[in-house]
Amino acid sequence: MRETQGPRIQGIQRSKGLMDKNSCFSLFTGFKAAYCLLLTVHCLFIAFFLVFGAAAPACARVYIDIDSPTLQKFPIAVADFKNLGKGADTGKLETWFADTLGGALQLTGFFTIIQRKAFLEDSGKAGITADSIRFSDWTSIGAESLIKGGFQVNGKELVTEFRLFDAVQGKLISGKRYTGKIDDRKDMVLKFASEVLLQLTGEQGVFDTRIAFAGKKGSVTEIYTIRFDGSDLEKITNFRSLTLLPRWSPDNREMTFTSYRDGNPDLYLMDMSSGRTRKISASSGLNLAAPWSPDGTKMLMTLSKDGHQEIYVMDFREGRSRRLTYNYSVNISPSWSPDGKKIAFVSDRAGSPQIYVMNADGSDPMRLTFQGNYNTSPSWSPKGKKIAFEGMVSGTFQIFLMDENGNNVVQLTTEGGRNDSPSWSPDGRYIAFVSKKNGRYRLCVMNSNGSNVRVLHEGMDGYSGISWSARSNLY
Amino acid sequence: MRRNAVVFFVMALILCLGLVLNTGCAKKVVKEAAEEKTATVQKEAAAAPSQPAETEEQRLAREKAMKEAALREEQERERALAAQKEKEAAAAARAEAFADIRFDFDKFDLKPEARETLKKAAAYMTANKNVDVLVEGHCDERGTVEYNLALGEKRAQSAMKFLVDLGVDKARIKTISYGKEKPLDPGHNEEAWAKNRRDHFVVTEK
Repeated sequence: MRETQGPRIQGIQRSKGLMDKNSCFSLFTGFKAAYCLLLTVHCLFIAFFLVFGAAAPACARVYIDIDSPTLQKFPIAVADFKNLGKGADTGKLETWFADTLGGALQLTGFFTIIQRKAFLEDSGKAGITADSIRFSDWTSIGAESLIKGGFQVNGKELVTEFRLFDAVQGKLISGKRYTGKIDDRKDMVLKFASEVLLQLTGEQGVFDTRIAFAGKKGSVTEIYTIRFDGSDLEKITNFRSLTLLPRWSPDNREMTFTSYRDGNPDLYLMDMSSGRTRKISASSGLNLAAPWSPDGTKMLMTLSKDGHQEIYVMDFREGRSRRLTYNYSVNISPSWSPDGKKIAFVSDRAGSPQIYVMNADGSDPMRLTFQGNYNTSPSWSPKGKKIAFEGMVSGTFQIFLMDENGNNVVQLTTEGGRNDSPSWSPDGRYIAFVSKKNGRYRLCVMNSNGSNVRVLHEGMDGYSGISWSARSNLY
Repeated sequence: MRRNAVVFFVMALILCLGLVLNTGCAKKVVKEAAEEKTATVQKEAAAAPSQPAETEEQRLAREKAMKEAALREEQERERALAAQKEKEAAAAARAEAFADIRFDFDKFDLKPEARETLKKAAAYMTANKNVDVLVEGHCDERGTVEYNLALGEKRAQSAMKFLVDLGVDKARIKTISYGKEKPLDPGHNEEAWAKNRRDHFVVTEK
């Protein structure tokens, strides 16, 4: 693989000094991961660089139109990786890379990963460059794309190469080389998985995002975060109280939530890098955390200091808050449109909880939902156009999707039991939600068309208040 | 305290009499044993036999005192029992006055039986100026966290308004909503939900 060398190779290094800093905030064990995530943005993973002559206009062609109503899963094969080193014993890295990459792509819900046992290629003879691959071996088993790769281990150092091929045309779509520690190999895989998504669907993946939620254990509810693939659960708060409604800031640096730690449901702000929290609203009654504006300059909240629940906006630049709703009924659960110009929310002003939309200054409230008598939890797609919500249907709750003007209501979940609290991924391709079936709660993710439901976490006594982080540009 | 005093008095009497009764015997033994102690005992003994009539009187007094003490103890017991009963009755009355009130699904208006309970609570608070109350609003598990927090708050406020309308000082009532986060019954059926859609009252004494 010498011919692929040339560009400089930088190391993938986690800054140990910075990581150690975490341990002094052991009180907030949970923020560690989020902190890592942030650190990573800045200092780790400057890694890779090496596009082996990938055609520049590769991005122009979108192989998978995920918005297509007739979306079919895209068949892709991931060949076992080749050990490019000098015969060093690498354990099972050959299959580990293939399986981990295949697993990551499988998670996205856009691919069918062709089983290894169907492979025809003589892996002994074939290489990982276009001229050493017989593409008919792959197209004949149905693969439209093929991923090949190799690695080289030198002590604790690891160099990996990944190549994505258009199997039908027999040409390279993208190639990357990553250099780092052997412990960083999963990051390398996810980074290339994100590259595959970028090349084939036109947008990178969300493997570097975390999903925050309130998790109940016994009588205590704390804030947790978990990665998109369901790994690396982290406890963010340790208040031993009732702590709810986590809301990420758009830059992932801060988080707001509501906690009964001091008796009253007060609103807290946590700095994710230091783990420090401070109370930012403690008026009598409810002080409920609500989403930040897409540009991070404002934050919504629900307060009931006037005796009824009203939506307020706090402007960080002005340093003050302003009331948006004026109605002697419940006004709650606000959600910004991606352009920050409108706010969807829940009100029972017409006698039952329904979803409304108003301008960001509180003017022109308009009712959106008219089906059923219990519609709550609006979540505006970051891509716009659609609003997800939960509605009551035949005595239980299911997740629905509607146009942002209230038209074209579609029920996304049909599973028995209850499905609620939808929250969009930053790319607008997935919806995280809570599922309850037979008395058992699960934190789940599905594609935005309702397919590919998978469990992110289960086993707690309850999940609620989901908030999906922005990308951290890790992958 | 009073009981302790009685016991002390009785004990003192018994001790005193015991000394008197034992004197004869003590004299002989002590004589044989140690001269210096004899002197002391003789001195004490000298007082006792010199008033034989008082011994009888004392015996009667002792019996009387014992009877009185027993009587007092009995009365004390009865009084304590009555107090206990009274306390229990008061607690029962308080529990009845501040029983949980229930709501219909997605509703915060007071049902007739809830109003009856709240009338008792108001009467109790009017009669017992030393108590304050915290009204906790709760919901069943259906619906979102946020909406249920709002609904729980509305339920707590409904009870507070009703109590205030019946003349209870608003300063004595506080409200808090726990939404659906603290169910009374962890079940997932209408029976459990009905119990969980409630206002719970926490009474505190000033």
